[in-house]
Amino acid sequence: MNRRAKFSHFGIFVLPALVLICVFVLYPCLRTISLSFFSGGKLTFSNYVDVLKSRDVVNPQGFSRGEFPLGALFDNLIWIVIHLPLTILLGLILAVYLRNVKGGSIIKSIIFLGMVMPMITGGVMIRFIFDKDIGVVNAFLKLFGFVPKTWTAYPETALFSLIFGSIWLWTGFSMILYAAGLETIPKDLYEAAQLDGASRTRMFFSITIPLLKPITIVVVTMTLLWELKIFDIVYVATMGGPGGASNVLALQMYIYAFKGLDFGKSSVVAVFITLFTLMVSIPMARSAGERR
Amino acid sequence: MFKKVIVLALCILLVVPVLGFAKLTVIGPWAGAEKEGFMPVLQAFTKKTGIEVEYRIYRFEDLVTMLPAQFSAKKTPGDLIFMSGTEWMVKNAKHLADLSDVINEGEFVPGTLVSKVNGKLLAGTFTGKIKPGFWYRKSFFGKYGLTVPNTWDEFVTLLQKIKMIPGIKAPIASGDGTGWPLSDVTEHFLITFGGPSLQKDLIAGNIKWESYTVKSIFEKLVFLLKSGYFSEPTEWTTILKQWWNGDYALYFMGSWITGMVDDPNDLGVFALPGCKGMVFSPDYFNVPIYSKHLEDAKKLAGFLAGREGQTISASLGGHIATNIGVPADVYPPVDREVAELLKGVQSLPDLDDTVGGEFQPAFWDQLKLLWVRPGRLDDVLQVLDEKMR
Amino acid sequence: MKKKIYRKIVHDTFAWIIGLIWIIPFVGLLMTGIRPMDELLHGWWNLKVLHLTFRNFIQAWHHPSVPLSQGTMNSLIVAVPATVIPILIATMAGYGFSRYRFPMRNSLFILIVLMLALPQQMIAVPIFNIMNKLRLLDNYLGLIIVHTAWGLPWITFFMRNFFTTLPVEVEEAARMDGASDVRTFFSIALPIAIPAIVSAAALQFTWVWSDFFLALILMYSPNKLLATQRIPLMRGVYFVNWGLLAAAAILLMLVPILVYTLLQKHYVKGMVGWSSK
Repeated sequence: MNRRAKFSHFGIFVLPALVLICVFVLYPCLRTISLSFFSGGKLTFSNYVDVLKSRDVVNPQGFSRGEFPLGALFDNLIWIVIHLPLTILLGLILAVYLRNVKGGSIIKSIIFLGMVMPMITGGVMIRFIFDKDIGVVNAFLKLFGFVPKTWTAYPETALFSLIFGSIWLWTGFSMILYAAGLETIPKDLYEAAQLDGASRTRMFFSITIPLLKPITIVVVTMTLLWELKIFDIVYVATMGGPGGASNVLALQMYIYAFKGLDFGKSSVVAVFITLFTLMVSIPMARSAGERR
Repeated sequence: MFKKVIVLALCILLVVPVLGFAKLTVIGPWAGAEKEGFMPVLQAFTKKTGIEVEYRIYRFEDLVTMLPAQFSAKKTPGDLIFMSGTEWMVKNAKHLADLSDVINEGEFVPGTLVSKVNGKLLAGTFTGKIKPGFWYRKSFFGKYGLTVPNTWDEFVTLLQKIKMIPGIKAPIASGDGTGWPLSDVTEHFLITFGGPSLQKDLIAGNIKWESYTVKSIFEKLVFLLKSGYFSEPTEWTTILKQWWNGDYALYFMGSWITGMVDDPNDLGVFALPGCKGMVFSPDYFNVPIYSKHLEDAKKLAGFLAGREGQTISASLGGHIATNIGVPADVYPPVDREVAELLKGVQSLPDLDDTVGGEFQPAFWDQLKLLWVRPGRLDDVLQVLDEKMR
Repeated sequence: MKKKIYRKIVHDTFAWIIGLIWIIPFVGLLMTGIRPMDELLHGWWNLKVLHLTFRNFIQAWHHPSVPLSQGTMNSLIVAVPATVIPILIATMAGYGFSRYRFPMRNSLFILIVLMLALPQQMIAVPIFNIMNKLRLLDNYLGLIIVHTAWGLPWITFFMRNFFTTLPVEVEEAARMDGASDVRTFFSIALPIAIPAIVSAAALQFTWVWSDFFLALILMYSPNKLLATQRIPLMRGVYFVNWGLLAAAAILLMLVPILVYTLLQKHYVKGMVGWSSK
């Protein structure tokens, strides 16, 4: 390969994409970082101080009292702590359970539907199912004697309603990925293990789970990214309320930028989100770079 | 010779549209039925002056984001733009035309015309809507023998009575749009017990939300909330239907409610006893200096603010005139009653609309919290102070 | 043997019960959309009085303030180019990364992969300013450009992974016959890549269609709003009720569901393609 050919390969095939990415993704990204460090025309940390003092992102008062609002950052973290393990487990269990079921693909499609729809609709659905008068959750709970209320309107339950609703939406993703992964495990591994007298549980833990590890990495990464970036659902279901009890970082960024017109503070929040998402993506990026 | 005549005729035909048939663009936030209540005013203007007017819809919050960019490029999307908030007007003063020559200040209800900036009148006033108080169905009151209260104690007694009526879910319906009308009810309490000056002081930031004055007023509201006299915040058009059907007795709402019910004549309204001020939200408009038809736009401004334009708007119902030249008999009956309420009280601006910014969504959000957790009043007031920059 | 069949029936039945439970919210949404509001005030599961009407759907489609007919058209105007263009550019880039060696190839690729982590919030304000300067605010072209640029990293990553699994022999043979690189790409690599391209297209189209945040920032004129933007407006700003909102939500979902149904295998392969190999 001569040098001219190398550069023309680069130029024709790769350059257009790189140019667009640099102009419309990389440059704005760097600009946001710089915006976060400027206030009143001067290089300063004041935006960071303002955001951390403002109780929107972190609310120490909420912690000392043990009640919502706790601040957008912690709402995202709580989302992760509840949503991540549950969707992964549920997805794996469903993938295994629905494997050879008659009409299983229809059931899987139903479960996957939550991923296919726009998240704005997802937010509407969540608001809908937790409503006092017409929501299914209350109808179900009424059977057990609970007094119905709109779960998304109360500070103690707003965030949790959103999280559990989002589990219903997102489980399809992990299930589909695990289902595909299960297909790739060679049957003879199981047959050999059975001949050795291994129980089904034993086989599950020693064969299935380790071999699904690459998929698990992907599911965990994608799910974490989704949980950190969540916006549409909260915007339409509760708008962060009541009293900021269900606020999330992406929504707070939007409020600072487009309601408060304070681009310094909004950039700080954007930088926070990105720090987390970059940390989360490093494992996956490393394995991507390893591939030839 | 003949050729020359043709050319001349063509030239005239080309020039005349530019001169005589200038098309003005008016930008406003109204859509649907509200828009229908505005178009006849524009049509009357066209009939009178021959100037065509086109109407385009933009939401106020989108204009706030979009206009600064346009103005800095010396452009404007509309020749006449309906914008709310005097803060915005003051910030953009250098982009707006002076309307003193087309609007006569003496014609307006005191307090409804904006203050001059550097001697210039930068905004005109159209008709507006008021938020008079608690609406009820006369037939409902008649059926249960209820009367309009004249003191605070009578008001609380009324609520107690209503609460005991079978089939009533709660005496007062709490509507939830994007946070108003909760904010409207709250402001009504502040105005009633703190006086009109309190509203102005809060807007200007002269008094803190956590101050004793403000807090004690909120405690009256919290008392009602804790006693269960208010419903849970519910989507405001849904609860309107439920209120009309008798699930609730009172609904705090703006004067546009007259256009939303089947039988406006069954409507009655009363303010909290002792209330000396009322939130009157006139629709303000500006004429940017970058308009390509500045003189015609100013003519339209004069028409809208003047007696003629406002009369048409008032006659269509749901709007109250700011121009004192509009006679009372042009109003439909219910609106006439509402216009009467405005007499003798001070008209005040809407608090969260005027302050705007980050405060407004926070205000709405905190009130939603207060309504379901009235015990957290202190937290709510604390946040409100934090968000008032 | 009998015991096995018995267990299978129990297993399958339970699986179906799970499916039914999972679909309940959708059923609720549908019921709310096709029944008049008065019937729903006590819960859509009450089937005592049951009238079916499409009025909500018609009203949502032709709503006086935020008609979904217009919204759907606008969303298509953005989604189609914002799928086709990035696919084209990114497939070439993915091919380039997989087949050719050039300076900094690995670092550039890792940079692209890291971009997958970025939240849209990170570019929001500067993109707003850029589009403002280019006079592309409130303009479909502006939104298309941003969606294109945003889609390039993941599609490049995806297609590059696909191409690395393709044996180079066929292309080498063509090159030995004297075909230029570009020709080799278009006549040999591209046709083979079609299944992967379809997968990427299905996903990209769905994601652009479903986007709300970028539209929220860049589009204002009421008649230009995309379908996703109209839904929150129906929740309290304009005169709307649950039935109308449900109908609107269903109409919004139809397009991506249609894409999924038609291209199911490719869609799923697209998502799975992240992980395997």
